[in-house]
Amino acid sequence: MTTAVQPASGGGGIDRPSSSSLADVIDTILDKGIVIDAYVRVSLVGIELLTIDARIVVASVDTYLRYAEAVNRLDISKDKETLPELMNDMQEGGAKQKTKGAIEAVGEKAHDFLDGDRESERVPRRKRREED
Amino acid sequence: MPTSTRSKESRHSDRTTGCYVYGIVPADVEVTSDARGLGDPPGAVKVVRFGEIGALVGEIRLDTSLGTPEDLMAYEHLLDGVAREAPVVPVRFGAIMTDTQAVADELLMPYHDEFLAALEELEGRAEYVVKGRYRQDALLREILSDNPEIARQRDEIRDQSPELTRNARIAVGEAINRAIEAKRDADTRNMVDVLTPHCVAVTVREAVHEEDAAHVAVLLDTERQAELEDALRELDREWAGRVNLRLLGPLAPYDFVVTRNQMG
Repeated sequence: MTTAVQPASGGGGIDRPSSSSLADVIDTILDKGIVIDAYVRVSLVGIELLTIDARIVVASVDTYLRYAEAVNRLDISKDKETLPELMNDMQEGGAKQKTKGAIEAVGEKAHDFLDGDRESERVPRRKRREED
Repeated sequence: MPTSTRSKESRHSDRTTGCYVYGIVPADVEVTSDARGLGDPPGAVKVVRFGEIGALVGEIRLDTSLGTPEDLMAYEHLLDGVAREAPVVPVRFGAIMTDTQAVADELLMPYHDEFLAALEELEGRAEYVVKGRYRQDALLREILSDNPEIARQRDEIRDQSPELTRNARIAVGEAINRAIEAKRDADTRNMVDVLTPHCVAVTVREAVHEEDAAHVAVLLDTERQAELEDALRELDREWAGRVNLRLLGPLAPYDFVVTRNQMG
């Protein structure tokens, strides 16, 4: 078992991208900002809007079964947290993070890639239409 | 899978182009020639002015649908680029008016003072978003350690066949899920407490992933960005090995603008 030298900051390091990814954008813009309908009526124009599945978390039986399986897989001998365990986690975790970044892709099916190696429970949420 | 929504038949159905509205800015904002808007190919962006305010707009064709990933990215990157330099009130995605004259007459003129007041409040400020995601193994070990009864349940069903233990496994999973939600609440409150002293405003966002630890938007004087980063580094140290943090910003203040009459 190797022990990595801790970086001076002590933490894993904060991810600080220079611009938002598609996943970040979808979290932000779908239901935020002022609604133009409240200000204008006459000169508002309708257009076909693609709706994107917004991501919200809904737990289901599948979620519960996955958690049960995940705790089953946890090594019994590691149930007690110790410092070496945390360091092993950090090394594994680093690799996982890189994979997730590589999978994010911009394209028609981008939302399929948003969660990398794990599907989150997602309930499609219809975007508001511009004109009613 | 993206699906499409057709808005009600437009009373402007003879039009071929419309004027997309991105946001409201002070009248002295200039858009650089390389600013790219929505559409394929990306449209030019310009400022329509009235009095002391302006609207960031771009011409778009009406015979195409809007909302591809490229559109969403262009929309946000444009607004975030502006927000680094000037206050901006972002407009929710999908706002299209007939033409620039209508923008001046129907949007900017009637609400001039309201928008100006909002821009003055936003001067020198921007939004930052902090996302925390649990490391699954660390999260589950914490939960088992905090909740010995869950560990016991897990041990009981561990070596039995999956078919026999389905209900028991669902019960364990449900208990874990409750524990995750409680942990998310506590960790979110911790993050809010850490960030609040440095911010003008803080708001908690919905979790977007099962293993989100915290999802918080803050409005901050941009000159205090280093303070925010220092506070987050402290939190990152405290949460080493259990939560990965991600910081976005400066962004346009999506979470901190309110539609008049709360119609949003």
